[in-house]
Amino acid sequence: MKTRLLALGDVPPRLAEAVLAGLPRPYTGGEVGRLEIALGRCYDRTRAQVDAACLIEQIPEPGPGWLLLGLTGVDLFMPALTYVFGISHLGGRRGIVSWFRLHPEETGPSAQTILIRRITTEVVHELGHSLGLVHCVVPECAMHRSLWPEGVDLKHPEYCPACLETLTSSL
Amino acid sequence: MTMPVRILVVDDEQHIRNSLATWFREEGYDVSVAASGKDALAAVAREGTNILLVDIKMPGMDGLELQRRVRELAPDATIIIMTAYASVETAVEALKEGAYDYIVKPFDPEAVSRLVRKAAERYSLLAENRALRERIVGASPALITSGSPAMAKVMELVDQVAPTDTNVLITGESGTGKELVAHLVHAKSTRRFGPFVVENCGALAEGVLESELFGHERGAFTGAVGRHRGKIEMANEGTLFLDEIGDVPPKVQVDLLRVLQEHELKRVGGNEAIKVDFRLVTATHRDLEAEVAAGRFRDDFYFRINVFQIPLPPLRERAGDVPALAKHFLQQFANQMNRRISGFSPDAMAALVAYPWPGNVRELANAIERAVVLCRGDRIEANHFPFAGPPASANLSLAAVEEAHIRQILAACSHNVAQAARELDIDRVTLYNKMKKYGIERP
Repeated sequence: MKTRLLALGDVPPRLAEAVLAGLPRPYTGGEVGRLEIALGRCYDRTRAQVDAACLIEQIPEPGPGWLLLGLTGVDLFMPALTYVFGISHLGGRRGIVSWFRLHPEETGPSAQTILIRRITTEVVHELGHSLGLVHCVVPECAMHRSLWPEGVDLKHPEYCPACLETLTSSL
Repeated sequence: MTMPVRILVVDDEQHIRNSLATWFREEGYDVSVAASGKDALAAVAREGTNILLVDIKMPGMDGLELQRRVRELAPDATIIIMTAYASVETAVEALKEGAYDYIVKPFDPEAVSRLVRKAAERYSLLAENRALRERIVGASPALITSGSPAMAKVMELVDQVAPTDTNVLITGESGTGKELVAHLVHAKSTRRFGPFVVENCGALAEGVLESELFGHERGAFTGAVGRHRGKIEMANEGTLFLDEIGDVPPKVQVDLLRVLQEHELKRVGGNEAIKVDFRLVTATHRDLEAEVAAGRFRDDFYFRINVFQIPLPPLRERAGDVPALAKHFLQQFANQMNRRISGFSPDAMAALVAYPWPGNVRELANAIERAVVLCRGDRIEANHFPFAGPPASANLSLAAVEEAHIRQILAACSHNVAQAARELDIDRVTLYNKMKKYGIERP
């Protein structure tokens, strides 16, 4: 299964490449691309956030053997929720991850390392959803739900054996 | 494998419904959506929803009204109210009417996840509790019946009295399953989520029984090294089952009567009045009316405990249930002893049906257990039973012998009336008439 990471808006080029390089099994290879989107159409002035459900609809259907995942730096929300780190179509091979709320409090070179690890972990999480996985109870598994940035650090950017088994057997 | 928790999101705003559905599906919940109270009620009836997230302000049927209607349709469903700041007061009203909690829109993801997780855990606990109770009832051999009218009557009485808070007296011979019926009364009552506390009053001396029932304070008597809560206190908000109530000494009868009248007790050696709220179920194999008449049992206490009586029939009065019970015990003991025994020979089954079972279901269980131990083949034979030999019919009337023989042949023929009639050398109509006369029903 190949992954195409799509930059939605301004995304540092090396960031997307670093995330792609950090993807674990079963994501074998892929590429970084760019998608021109109408962010304003999904922007909510009252909340000063972007509606994730609206945004994901701008990502096209992926071709056979591909997963599409949008990367963005804008603050995402879902109408009923104050914020989300990402969203995906369950089993629909499309998703989005935002790093807006994933920035670490630290500064300096280590901050970039932490941020890339967090984004990678959440990308692995949303890719899992896009292939039909639901949340996992194993705290270290990428499919464990994280609701705050430090919670993402408790996970590994890979799946626990049970989730990996489910995933590989469904592919 | 456990079934996923079913969530229904009810909101007239589509984007709220859809975003919550997406969020909870990722959690692994089985999520449906409804745009109105009417659609929600249809979904609850159709799908058996476990948790409802209900918007309080909707056109037509609002959240409060929907909550009331869902309560009637699915009393175990957990309802979480969704509200905007402006309608928090209404949400509080919903809480008073039994909503599990409320949450203000837009939700903090952590808060809504935690809330629904807690609601799902609550649902799982309730479901587990219910399953355990059903298993208890399902595994209650004394209640296994092939549709005998006597046990149907018992179950009818249980269903009538269980939802009330009335004191129940269960009477019947030893081994008829009095404790199981008491458990069933509790399991079907509104106190079912409270404790079911059992005390066998026949086995204890007066002083020990007092301490067991009422508890004691430290130093109340020699050996009372600490405070001890009694069974009555333990049964608070639940059911207290006192077995062999006919053996309770008069002094303890007086003390129990006071607790029943005043709903409070004092521990042995204590002065503090402790409020208690429990339902009393008692049982006895004695004829309490005769005990009252003989002055051995207090009449005021008898009247207090005998508000509703459930008499349990002895097994000999429901001989039609014996084959089903025997098969149940055979399976149980064969599994326990890892034996492959397929069933009973016709002679063995006929012997079981004909035997009068003075020790009732308990004796039947013991007989089957013994037979499983002795059995070396793949089926139980009549000589595996301790009562093997000529049936104990020496003192029975001609009608009783005829009834027993008909039951024996019917059991041997797996209740095939035509075949049994041939065996008995009578025509089918005659056999039907005799079955009607003796109250023999086909399983």
